[in-house]
Amino acid sequence: MLLLQNARIASENSPVLLEADVLIVEGKIQDIGNNLAIPEGARVIDARGRILMPAMFDAHVHFRAPGFEAKETITTGSEAAINGGITGVVMMPNTRPAIDSAMVVATVLDNAKHRSRIPIYTSGCVTKDRQGKELAEIDGMRELGVKMLTDDGDTTNDPAVLLRAMQYATEFGMFFASHCEVPELAGPRALNEGVMSYRLGIKGSPACAEEIIIDRDIRLAHAAGAHVHIQHVSSKLGMETIRWWKSRGDVKVTAEVAPHHLLFTEEHIGNYDTNYKMNPPLRTQADCDALLEGLIEGVLDLIATDHAPHTPYEKAQDFISAPNGITGLDTALVSLYHYFVEPAKFGWDVVVKRYSAEPRRLMGLPVAAIEVGQKAECLLFDTEAETTFTREFMKSKSHNTPFLDQTLKGRVDLVILGTEILLER
Amino acid sequence: MARKDLLDIASLHREEIELLLDQSTSFKKLFTRSVNKVPALGGKSVLMLFYEASTRTHSSFEVAAKRLSADVTNFDIAHSSITKGESVRETVETLQAMRTDYIVVRHGRSGLPGLIARQTKASVINAGDGAHEHPTQALLDAFTIKEKFPDPRGKKVLIIGDILHSRVARSTSTLLQKLGVEVAYLGPGSLVPKYGPATIRRFTDYQAAMAWSPDVVYLLRVQMERQDVQFFPSLREYHRLYGITNDRLAEIQQRGLYIMHPGPVNRGVELCDAVMDYERSLITNQVENGIVIRMAVLDWLTPGGDAPRAEPTFGRSYERSC
Repeated sequence: MLLLQNARIASENSPVLLEADVLIVEGKIQDIGNNLAIPEGARVIDARGRILMPAMFDAHVHFRAPGFEAKETITTGSEAAINGGITGVVMMPNTRPAIDSAMVVATVLDNAKHRSRIPIYTSGCVTKDRQGKELAEIDGMRELGVKMLTDDGDTTNDPAVLLRAMQYATEFGMFFASHCEVPELAGPRALNEGVMSYRLGIKGSPACAEEIIIDRDIRLAHAAGAHVHIQHVSSKLGMETIRWWKSRGDVKVTAEVAPHHLLFTEEHIGNYDTNYKMNPPLRTQADCDALLEGLIEGVLDLIATDHAPHTPYEKAQDFISAPNGITGLDTALVSLYHYFVEPAKFGWDVVVKRYSAEPRRLMGLPVAAIEVGQKAECLLFDTEAETTFTREFMKSKSHNTPFLDQTLKGRVDLVILGTEILLER
Repeated sequence: MARKDLLDIASLHREEIELLLDQSTSFKKLFTRSVNKVPALGGKSVLMLFYEASTRTHSSFEVAAKRLSADVTNFDIAHSSITKGESVRETVETLQAMRTDYIVVRHGRSGLPGLIARQTKASVINAGDGAHEHPTQALLDAFTIKEKFPDPRGKKVLIIGDILHSRVARSTSTLLQKLGVEVAYLGPGSLVPKYGPATIRRFTDYQAAMAWSPDVVYLLRVQMERQDVQFFPSLREYHRLYGITNDRLAEIQQRGLYIMHPGPVNRGVELCDAVMDYERSLITNQVENGIVIRMAVLDWLTPGGDAPRAEPTFGRSYERSC
């Protein structure tokens, strides 16, 4: 039994924070009100000034298991999630072996059951071994609870293959998540084609490489009557393409944006800093501004980190050789507060809606909310405190993040999942 | 200011450039007086780490180092553990243990010399990295131009060809602009990116570029080896549109323009044979000046210090405006 006194409660429905006490009994929210009586045996937490909000949910993470456990494991990845106020994640299937069959799904989920303190969901491949040629055995994965199909890390390059997959799997109520790039245009380098690619002497990947596939995959979904979810949108025109398709109303399309595409531009790469190397690449300030607008407007339905851990050795290579991606679970919520909520670019309602409610809706899961009768799945956030992202603080096995050793405003103080307090600072 | 490494032109200050050019002048005078060796780097070791083929740059560095009395070791890539999959980092760690003073690096990966420089106390000299920079080529180009135009301010240099893949174009244009020279690019639209520096004029038409009245025409080698897709239909068409043909050479001669080329030349592509006999072709001068420039660079750098931390004009920023 837990009584949080004088918390400021955030919800997806209003930017206004409601100050109240919240009583949690046996993992459920039993009462919300002012000056609630302290039940006998209840633990009381003074939450005055702090924000109580639904816990976050990340629909795009790479936990690297099986196959790349030097970068991350299910244990370290899930602990990084808890550290960042996240109580549910969707793993991407670009592991080794790839998560492309019921057998691998079963192994991963069984592993997660024993090695994670939060629920872990996995996506499954569209094609066998993400090769883009033969369809993976989709129904076997569906039986084990897989809802999202993706060849993330790569585009399912052959539109005929993807169209058939959409026609087939939509009947099972599954949806498709698209990593969008024309490989012939993007090449192997994760750097925007523009000022920086010229300056650094590396061939860039033009934004149109992403935009073409965004449009293509929505058109395929339209043709197949499928639901397509566009992953990690990074460009202004990509966002506007999604906006146009949504305005038609005759295709089910959702989209996500990663915090790093809202925060950083190609110029942050500076002198070949591989902590800013990701795919899709960082683009321009105009793209960042458009993505922020799209997020607030709802064109981009959700925030997802694309948490992509890599070993120090891999990221210490030259820019072209270094792998794509940065970690995000430890840092996402605090960085959203520091850069957007605190400077009043958007409110807590946007954070809750886009990083907690919508990702759960995407996965067909109950939405966590601070409401009477709901399961307690929430976090307490201190806006007055700061977080320094040292190696010791971060729980991810890898530290390939631009935020390493940076101090940002805000701190996740408490994470509750049902009857468990997963984190308390 | 003492520098450990020479990695790029972008971070060089004008005073440093002037110093290097002056020092090269002194070396050039010295070698016209039948002195062929000075003891400046006696007892020092220079390691040549060339992951890409090179004739001019490699031999020029080697000659320069020997004229400064340094010991030169050529790292034999073909017979090294690199063929067993050894990474550049492992190679450098091994070489670091051998206490070399200077490492001259050429590599196909942009930024790699900088990565090596951060891992070693040796002075690292970038002898060309991908399409990023080739600082000593830029310095020798500037030196060659200054021999003809002692005060190059306001002069115009037209760089023709494959800008997209050219580290020479990037370094040389940056350096010339630092000396007050006006620079323009000419080439096929597919090889002259629109997102290049705003200070550099961009032409895709030869006549329009010549109407800009350049003083020097700088031809770049068409780098077929770096082109993963077709950027123009044929070498014949390239020559017709952008090469120095016999007719164009006649016009260049009439106007008294200088011609430069970093080599190696693709005859019949960037230029016709007659260009090599043109009295205002500076191509041989460039090769000759390469030695004294590289001597000046080796003499100027200070091994063992901290790697230069040039102030970037951009980069990591944690301002709240995002």
